[in-house]
Amino acid sequence: MEYLTKMIDLYGESLLRNIGIHLLYVFASVSIGFVLGLTLGILLYRSEKYAKIILPVLSVFNTIPGIVFIGILFLYLGMKPATVIIALSIYAMFPVLKNTFVGLTNVERRYIEAARGCGMNNRQILFRVELPLAIPTIIGGLRMATIYTVSWSVLAAMIGLGGLGEFIYQGININRNDIILLGAIPAAVLAIALGLLIDVLQRKVTPRGIRKELNRR
Amino acid sequence: MIQFEHVVKKYGDATVLDDISFTIEPGQFAVLIGPSGCGKTTTLKTINRLIEPDDGTVRIDGDDISEVNRVQLRRRIGYVIQQIGLFPNMTVAQNITVVPKLLKYSKEDCDKIVHDMLEMVDMPYDQYAHKYPSEMSGGQQQRIGVLRALAASPPIVLMDEPFGALDPMTRSALQDEILHLQKKLKKTIVFVTHDMEEALNLADVIIFMENGKITQMAPPEEMLKNPANESVKNFLGKHIAVDDPSTLTAADFLRTNVVTVDSKKSLRTCTAQMMRSNVDSLIVTDENDKYIGTVSVEDIKSVSGDDLRVADVLKNDRETFRVDDDAKRCFDKLLSTKDNYVIVLKHDDTVAGIITKTSIAKALAERLWG
Ligand SMILES: Nc1ncnc2c1ncn2[C@@H]1O[C@H](COP(=O)(O)OP(=O)(O)OP(=O)(O)O)[C@@H](O)[C@H]1O
Ligand SMILES: [Mg+2]
Repeated sequence: MEYLTKMIDLYGESLLRNIGIHLLYVFASVSIGFVLGLTLGILLYRSEKYAKIILPVLSVFNTIPGIVFIGILFLYLGMKPATVIIALSIYAMFPVLKNTFVGLTNVERRYIEAARGCGMNNRQILFRVELPLAIPTIIGGLRMATIYTVSWSVLAAMIGLGGLGEFIYQGININRNDIILLGAIPAAVLAIALGLLIDVLQRKVTPRGIRKELNRR
Repeated sequence: MIQFEHVVKKYGDATVLDDISFTIEPGQFAVLIGPSGCGKTTTLKTINRLIEPDDGTVRIDGDDISEVNRVQLRRRIGYVIQQIGLFPNMTVAQNITVVPKLLKYSKEDCDKIVHDMLEMVDMPYDQYAHKYPSEMSGGQQQRIGVLRALAASPPIVLMDEPFGALDPMTRSALQDEILHLQKKLKKTIVFVTHDMEEALNLADVIIFMENGKITQMAPPEEMLKNPANESVKNFLGKHIAVDDPSTLTAADFLRTNVVTVDSKKSLRTCTAQMMRSNVDSLIVTDENDKYIGTVSVEDIKSVSGDDLRVADVLKNDRETFRVDDDAKRCFDKLLSTKDNYVIVLKHDDTVAGIITKTSIAKALAERLWG
């Protein structure tokens, strides 16, 4: 008990601040990543021949460890929050892009055929049929992006830009497990909480007609 | 009016539509039929330009459709695709008003359309308008699929096996509905099926396709009377006989496993044969299996003498028929005598079989219900 009050006295304020910074990183980079991923996913879906080239390249790129990438960006852009946000946005983009592409590709031919037969043009087919049917998959990508970004944001501390990673690095440096946990536990809780939030969002934005189908699967 | 003029469609080396020409008059109910893969769907999709032909011209009311904006064209042609294809993310009402909305109808008009349409197929608005396709039965979904095609009152409606996956009851109910709608709304309908029964029920004119060609285009009665070739005949199958009784012959009603006896056999053998087969009369043949008469239990009882042969008692007072005689004559005979069968002979005078009341009933049942 005494230990707990001491910890709160010592670290309470910086914990709150770092959670805030951490959330800011996650929010900013997931938002940017989502918009990028969605747009690119749609574009690639629409131009099959580019998709065949670009998708494999992207998935190779995706395997470069985040820490390497942040390191490289840091050399070019310097020690700024923008560095972190750019790096994280790009990483957040991948799952969204991939799921958007897959979700659109998996829309059954018959719906597209029916839409075309009704006299919809390509844009109308995209917004009225394809995207609504791909939404569950796209949100699945968003969920992945968010959860990954929570843990990747820890890397921000590596170049001294705060967030929950700060405790983890500090803990490692001074060899204190409780300080490491002070960063790790809130990060884990954050990941789970945001995951749940997105599940709620998914239920909200999925058209009712295909919600049932999802549950049946 | 829909006109195909020498339309050709190829996929690689395969010619899917091979120089197709035909005309469907305004207000006609045309049914495309033929074996799987013969090009029915391809023909249909050529009409709303989901498929562009490699050669030839398709005209609607005289206009070459390749010169019409295809999105505009499709909004004027109702289309029911082969696998229903209701949008699962939209309610019944939203599905029905897809085309009216594309045509920028007002909200009130759209609402009215949904009400009218649902009423037409006896699906109460309050109960169904806000359901999703996944919440309805297959038959209900197919109804809505048809309504979606009709909603903007297009003069032409294309339907690709719209009642494909339905049980026979629902299917025939929907056929009645579509016929009723057609009569009421005076649409030109092009309807694809591979069920001849459906075609005969619905069509003003049937277009029979095979390997990308039109084998025969004719009204149902004409096709039944004069099928163009064997495969049309096969498709018509059981319907030919039922719908045109004048073509039925004695051969169609034969019972062929009949008990015969050689005229040189003794009466004792003959009696034994009758007992074994549980009949009271036998057909008598000569040594070449040719028919020479009949012998009954009474005939045998009326004589005595151990060395008598079948030839000594047989009667030859019956009228016989040939296999290709009109079946009706056999029926009339059967009904007008006390004999419970009539005898049918092949052209070489050997016995083809007999016709009994039971064999008639059986043959009719087979033709009617398969
Ligand atoms: N996109 C395509 N590429 C290559 N071949 C095709 C294509 N679409 C159809 N075909 C071929 O064209 C032929 C006609 O197809 P179509 O769909 O018109 O047949 P159908 O008469 O509607 O058959 P079903 O009764 O099975 O629906 C078939 O042999 C099919 O394999
Ligand atoms: Mg077909």
